[in-house]
Amino acid sequence: MDPFHDYYGVEWYLILLGWSAIALGSHFYQVGTVVRLIRLGEDDDRFNSWKQRLTEFLVDWLGQRKVVQDKVAGYAHAMIFWGFLMLVSDIVDLGTGGLFQELLSRIRLDGIWNLVVDVGYAMAAIGIIIALYRRLVIRPEKLKGSSIEGPLILLAILGIILTAFIVEAGNMIGEDSNYNSWEPIGVLFAEQMESMNHETVANVVDISYWIHMVLIGGFLIEIPQTKHSHLIGTIPNVMFQDHSPMATMNPMQTDENDVAVKTDDLDFDNLTLGVNKFADFTWRQLSDGWACTACARCQDVCPAYNSGKTLNPMQIVMDVKDYGREHSSLLLAGKEPGETIIDRFTSDAIWACTTCYACVEACPVHIEHVPKLTDTRRHLVMEASDFPEELQNLFNNLERNSNPWGLGAHTRGDWAEGLDLKIGEPAEYLFFVGCAGSFDDRNKKVSRATAKLLKEAGVDFSILGEMETCNGDPARRAGNEFLFQMMAETNVDNLNSLGTLKIITACPHCFHTIGKEYEKYGGKYEVYHHSQILNELRQKEKLKIKDFEDKVTFHDPCYLGRIGGETEAPRNALGGELIEMERHGTNSFCCGGGGARVWMEEDADKRVNEIRAKEASKTGADCVAVGCPFCMTMMSDGLKSIGENKQVKDISEILLENLEART
Amino acid sequence: MNIAVLIKMVPDTESRLEIVDGKIKEDGFKYMVNPYDEFAVEQAVQFKESVGGKVTLVSLFSDNSSIDTDLRKMMAIGADETIVLRQQGYRGDRTTSNARILSKTVKELDPDLVICGVQGIDYYQAATGPMVAHFLGVPHVSGVTNLELDGDKLTASRQMEGGLQIVESSMPILITAQKDMTKVRFPALKDIMMSKRKPFENREVEIEEGTDVVTVECSLPPSRGGGVILEGDGPEEKVDKLIEKLKMEAKVI
Repeated sequence: MDPFHDYYGVEWYLILLGWSAIALGSHFYQVGTVVRLIRLGEDDDRFNSWKQRLTEFLVDWLGQRKVVQDKVAGYAHAMIFWGFLMLVSDIVDLGTGGLFQELLSRIRLDGIWNLVVDVGYAMAAIGIIIALYRRLVIRPEKLKGSSIEGPLILLAILGIILTAFIVEAGNMIGEDSNYNSWEPIGVLFAEQMESMNHETVANVVDISYWIHMVLIGGFLIEIPQTKHSHLIGTIPNVMFQDHSPMATMNPMQTDENDVAVKTDDLDFDNLTLGVNKFADFTWRQLSDGWACTACARCQDVCPAYNSGKTLNPMQIVMDVKDYGREHSSLLLAGKEPGETIIDRFTSDAIWACTTCYACVEACPVHIEHVPKLTDTRRHLVMEASDFPEELQNLFNNLERNSNPWGLGAHTRGDWAEGLDLKIGEPAEYLFFVGCAGSFDDRNKKVSRATAKLLKEAGVDFSILGEMETCNGDPARRAGNEFLFQMMAETNVDNLNSLGTLKIITACPHCFHTIGKEYEKYGGKYEVYHHSQILNELRQKEKLKIKDFEDKVTFHDPCYLGRIGGETEAPRNALGGELIEMERHGTNSFCCGGGGARVWMEEDADKRVNEIRAKEASKTGADCVAVGCPFCMTMMSDGLKSIGENKQVKDISEILLENLEART
Repeated sequence: MNIAVLIKMVPDTESRLEIVDGKIKEDGFKYMVNPYDEFAVEQAVQFKESVGGKVTLVSLFSDNSSIDTDLRKMMAIGADETIVLRQQGYRGDRTTSNARILSKTVKELDPDLVICGVQGIDYYQAATGPMVAHFLGVPHVSGVTNLELDGDKLTASRQMEGGLQIVESSMPILITAQKDMTKVRFPALKDIMMSKRKPFENREVEIEEGTDVVTVECSLPPSRGGGVILEGDGPEEKVDKLIEKLKMEAKVI
C-alpha cells in the first residue's frame, strides 16, 4: 500500500506540488539573496588550479578529512553526511510516486539502489543518535549555551528517516509478496507492522509520508537561515580554499603580476585600506559566514577566547553572516547601515587576536578567521587612526629606529661584539638576527649561541649589522601595512644588494615573513629557521652534540610549527627524549605574543602565557625549550607568574651546552 | 585664526653620540621634530579645527639635511603649510640669532597666536620662544600645560612648584608648550599621503648677529663598568673571593 492516492478528492501530487512550490520557492529566493550578498564582496581570483581544487574538494568535502579529526562528533557527522548522499535520490523517488525506482528497474539497478538508500538511511540514523546523545547527554562544555536549534533539527532529520522506513515497510506489506530483501531495514520495520490491520497500516503510511514531505520542505526553508546553510555554503568554501601559504597577507595594491605596488607609487585616491564595510571583504571572506556550522572547534583552540578575552573566532564568522542577513535590504540597495562591521566585531575582539592561526587550522571547512581581524585592523590603523595607545609607540619606534623598542638603530649589531662576524659582506648564508635577537638582553644570548654554533661548524655567514631593520611583521599584524611595506622594501634592497640567496634566522616571524611574504616585494630567498640548519649540521656531524640529559619539553612556536610547517627539525636538532605537552606540533597553543600582542597590554587576570606555562609545567620537565624570541619572553614571564622555577632556553643554547669539545 | 608654530629639528635621542676634540660629532645624527613642538602643532590644529583659520609651521635648520618626512607628518596632523629656513652652518644653541631670524618670518605671517615647545631637547635652553616674543613685541606665557580659547581670549595654565597659575591674555601672544599640553594624534595614512600636496617652502637665510653664549667643550658622562660575576666551586669559594675583593679592591672592610 502506498500514499499515492487522492486525499478528500485532491490528488496527492497536486498537494505535493503546492507544498514543493512553497518550500522550493522560499529556499531558492533565500539562497538567491545570500548569493547576491556574497557577490557584494571584493574580487578574489581563486578560479584556478582546478585539478588541485577538485582533489581537495573530494578529500575535504566528500571524504570529510578534517571533520573526522573530532572522533565523536566528526564521525557522527560523516555518517549523517555520507548517509544523506546515499539516500538523497529517494526524495526524488518518493516525490514522484515511485517513478525513479521504476526507471531503475528497467535497467535492473533498482535492487542495488534500494540497498544503498536503505543503508544510507540507517547510517544517517546512527549518526543522528550519536549526535543527539552528545548534545543531550554528554553535553560538552562548548555546547552549553548553544541554541535548541541543533537538537530540534536532529530530531526532525530523525523524523525524516523514520517516516521513510515506515513508508518503505508499508509498501512491502501491501505487495503481499515476499519482502524486498534489498531493503533490510525496511523489512525490519515491515515485520513489526505486519500484525496491524491493513487499514491502520495504510493510515500510518499516509501520515508518515506527509510528515516526511513536510519535514523535508521545512528543512529546505530553514537551511539558508541558520547554521544549516553550511549544507550549501561549504561547497564554495572548500572548493575555493586558500592556496597561498598559511598566514600570508595581501599587499595593499598589486600589479598585474601580483607584485606589490611600491609605497611611492601607491594610488591613495583610489585605495580602500582594510575593511570597515561589509562589501570591503572579499566574496570568499563573506562566504565563510554561510559555511560555518558553529562546531566551535575554532573557539576551543583560540588563545584569546580561552583566556577570557572578548574575541571568539566563531562569533566573528557568525557576525559576518548575521550582519549580512540583518542589513540585507540596505546592503543590496547599495546603502550603508549605521552600524559598521567593525562595530559588530567590536574593537576589543579585533585587537585580542594573536594571529596564531589555530582557528584556521582547526576549521573543517576552511574558514579564514584571522584575515577578517587583520583586515579590520588595517582600517583602524591606516584610515581611522583608532587603535590601542601602546601601538603608537611601537609604530613610532619602528619608524625611527626600525625596532619595536626604539633603541638606537646603530646599536643593532652590538650583540655580536667580540664574535668576529662578517658584517654586511657577501657570504653563503645571511644570518638575519631580527629585533629581539639584536636588542633584547635575554635573546641576544640566543643570537650569540647561534652564531657560535654556526662558526663552530664552519658555516660561511654574515650579518647585516646596522643595515638590518625589523622584518615588519609586528607592524603588519597590527594593521600598519604601509609601515610593514616600507621595512620590507628596505630589507629587500639591502639583502639583494649583498646578493643574498640563503638566510638563517632564529625568529619564526622573520622566518615566515622573509621566506613567504617578501617575494611580492621583490625578495626571493631560501629562508631557514636556525633549528633546521643546526639539525642538518648535527645530523651531518659537523657539530658533535651529546643528547641533553635534563627533562625537556619543547614549545612549538606558531609561526614555525603550525604556520611554518616545521615541527621535526627542532626536535631532531635537540635530540634526546622530549616530554611532549598535550598540545604540540601543529596543534601547539600560542604563547600569547603573536599579532603584535607582545607589545600590547593584557589583563593580568587572564593571560595567554599562563595557560601555556601551566601546560608546560604539567609535563614535569625542568626546562622549556623554545625556538622563538617572543615565546622566550612570554614563556619566561608566564612560568614566573604561575610561580614555576623552570628554565626557558632556546634550542641553540641547549645545543651549545651539549656541544662536545672539538677533538 | 592665524597660527604660527615654531618647529626645531633635534637629534634623535637614540642617535649615536660621539665627542671628538670636545665637540659633538653631528654628521651621524638622525633628526626628529622636537617632541615639545609636537604638542604645539597638535594644540594649534585643535584651535583651527574648532574656530577655523590656518596653521603655518616655521623651522630653522641646516641646509644639508632632509627633514621633509618629519615635517610632512606634522602637516598630516593638520598643519596647512611649512616654511623651512635653510641656513648654512646652523647651530641649535645660538638662541638670539636664531630667534631673530625666526621672528622675521613669523612677522610676515602676522599670526594671532605663535606656539612652540617650551625647550628643545638638544640644548635645553628654553630661550628661543621668549626671545621670538621679544622681537615680535608680543607677550608670552611659557611652560603652558593647558591652553583654552574662548573668543579672542586665551586662558593658559602653568604648573608651578606646588601649585597652578592661571593666566588670561588677549592675542597676539606667544605660548610655549610644556609636556602633555595635548595628546598628539597619530595621523592616518591617508592624511600622511595627502600632506604631500600641501605647500612646503624652503628659503635660504643668512646667520644673523646675536649675543649668544659659546660652547667651550662637551664631554660624555664617565661610563660605568659592568658588574663582575665571581666564579668558583661552590658558595664558600665564591664568598672567599668576594671578601677578598671587598678588602683589597673596594676597601670597605
